[in-house]
Amino acid sequence: MEGSSDAVIVARVLRGDVEGFRILVERYHDRYARYAFHMLGNREDAEEALQDAFTRAYRSLGRCEDPERFGAWLFRILVNRCRTLGARRGRRAQTFVVDETAILEAAEEHPADRNAWREEIDRALQQLRTEQREAFLLKYVDDMGYDEMSQLTGVGVSALKMRVMRACERLRELLSEVQSA
Amino acid sequence: MHDQRDPIESIARELRRPVQVSVSLDDRIMGEVRQLPHYGRLKLWLRLTTPRTITITPLRVGLAAAALAMFAILGAAHVGNDIWRVATPIATAMFPSIKKPAPNQRVQFVLVAPDAKKVSVVGDFNGWDVAHAGYQAQHRGGGVWSVTAPVPVGHHRYSFVVDDSVWVADPTAPRVIDNDYGMPNSAIVVSEQQK
Repeated sequence: MEGSSDAVIVARVLRGDVEGFRILVERYHDRYARYAFHMLGNREDAEEALQDAFTRAYRSLGRCEDPERFGAWLFRILVNRCRTLGARRGRRAQTFVVDETAILEAAEEHPADRNAWREEIDRALQQLRTEQREAFLLKYVDDMGYDEMSQLTGVGVSALKMRVMRACERLRELLSEVQSA
Repeated sequence: MHDQRDPIESIARELRRPVQVSVSLDDRIMGEVRQLPHYGRLKLWLRLTTPRTITITPLRVGLAAAALAMFAILGAAHVGNDIWRVATPIATAMFPSIKKPAPNQRVQFVLVAPDAKKVSVVGDFNGWDVAHAGYQAQHRGGGVWSVTAPVPVGHHRYSFVVDDSVWVADPTAPRVIDNDYGMPNSAIVVSEQQK
């Protein structure tokens, strides 16, 4: 069943095979953990968003109109959960804390100065406006086209292009000093 | 140390690296998912709770009348001559002025659930215990499940549990929402018997 399409697995879950849902979890959690982590800036919130997205997807599985594209549907749920969690986090007194463990893990097998560069990237990313960060990640990290991004976010293509452009400008500005160091 | 030209590609390359999550995350997700009603059982739940448009025809009215008559006969056969034992909890709740069951009177709970394999009654009067022996409904035929069980005088909340997993409020009784669990519950008022 591991090699089955999303549609086959969704059909089995809808027939009562709840354990089949684990395959979907294992299939998508890595890619989507990356997005949630970069959007929310820490592992705890990212895991909360992921868990929330998966359980909401399970609850609404019968309303998934195209089970073959379960992954895209789940991603839309996750994007919305990240927006909600991000907004909630924004209301709290928030100090950006770098997830040291993630940085150490990411730094394995790489040059010694990689940590500092990665830390600066994470810091700069969190300084972007939420909508700019979202657009930048979808475009450059998840490699989406603007039409797909528009479908996912419900935002017009022109507005998305503007957000990506502003995000790039801001990142260049924030990281230019680090880059030339 | 990294791309000295436009940093955007260098940033994107860095951000595309996998992010580690807790090894227990999958188990936590599945643990939460297992707590939710399973889909095979949800179908029954949806059939019972989804509003449907019913077209009234003389034939349907006749069938409905026949079903009600059969239901009354089944109930009467089960509880003997005491008509109050046939009355559903809603009768007690809606008509408090008429003759009521005695204190701790036995009350008959009835649910129509054609696809059910098991039906239990849970409520604050039995500790919401789905396995309580005295509150297991019996299939009376035609998808009709019923049990006659003791309920103390007073206000109570209760629900049916189908196949040990799906909570179904009594469709004939006033509905209340249990704030603790968000499950649909029904209300019942059991009064002392009038002399």
